[in-house]
Amino acid sequence: MNSTATNLVETYQFDDDEQDALREVVNIAMGRAGASLAQILDTFVRLSVPFVHIAGVTEVSGAIGDMLGQETNVIAVRQAFYNSLRGEAIIIFDRKGSRALAGLMGYDKRTDGYIEQEVLLDVSNVLVGACLGGIADQFDMQLSYYAPAIMFEGGSVDDLLKEDRVPWTHALLLEIEFEVEGSGINCHMVILTPEESIGLIREQLHTILESI
Amino acid sequence: MAIPVLIVDDSAMSRKMMSRALPAGMDYEITEAANGEEALSAWHAGKGDIILLDLTMPVMDGYTTLEKIKTESLDAFVIVVSADIQPKAKERVKKLGAVAFMKKPIDKKALATVLKKYAPLQ
Repeated sequence: MNSTATNLVETYQFDDDEQDALREVVNIAMGRAGASLAQILDTFVRLSVPFVHIAGVTEVSGAIGDMLGQETNVIAVRQAFYNSLRGEAIIIFDRKGSRALAGLMGYDKRTDGYIEQEVLLDVSNVLVGACLGGIADQFDMQLSYYAPAIMFEGGSVDDLLKEDRVPWTHALLLEIEFEVEGSGINCHMVILTPEESIGLIREQLHTILESI
Repeated sequence: MAIPVLIVDDSAMSRKMMSRALPAGMDYEITEAANGEEALSAWHAGKGDIILLDLTMPVMDGYTTLEKIKTESLDAFVIVVSADIQPKAKERVKKLGAVAFMKKPIDKKALATVLKKYAPLQ
């Protein structure tokens, strides 16, 4: 990391109150996303405590690798958003889980890659819409979305967030984990948003903190 | 006498919101806990007649806390306050003995209505 980048991360770092408030906002939003996922799959979805911090992209890859295992074969979907905030949500499934997901959605387990991808895109779209929509509502903001697309398939976590795949070097990292009970499916959502949006988010957090 | 209210949530902001949502005109003795483990020790110290309990927490989550309260037959009026709005989450906490399930952010009026069921206040 060069020194400008280091300064940037330090300048944007949230204090404890801001971090706590953001985690709670994300928690409420992921509750909504989890409920949507549970409804689609007709099962119970276990939510984790969200992880929130400002990070360098290289760090993000390491953090996800720690959770999934560096060697795990993953498939990832990306979906960009814009309007009041801009950025990109990345949903990462491990390969086994993504096949199981297609199974839960009623497709044959030996399903071809095309259907598996369609299922992942649909599920990702629902998760991103519910989660980011939940955050935007609490911030009184509007968001619009591009269509989701397969970002990466059939490699390890380490290769996923290579700098040439993601257009920003530093970002607010929101890490959210959904686990579909009894199925071995779990997926991680990482939301990357650039510096200018981080300032807007901070303003909104202060509005919330001052209102209680 | 002040009513012992235990507020259990890993977020300080959320704990503050819950304590602000308690109906006025009553005297409360508020204790805060950041997870289920802290909550159980606070209960044993006599601080948890009414418990406002979050579900998604580190160390010990709300489900496990409810299980412990149930298996150890701890006498408490537990209201779950959670962002997890799955119908199955509601079912589970009710089965585990919670009096009510409220979604976050907590609604003051709804909390007042639920608290009316708390026997010592009737």
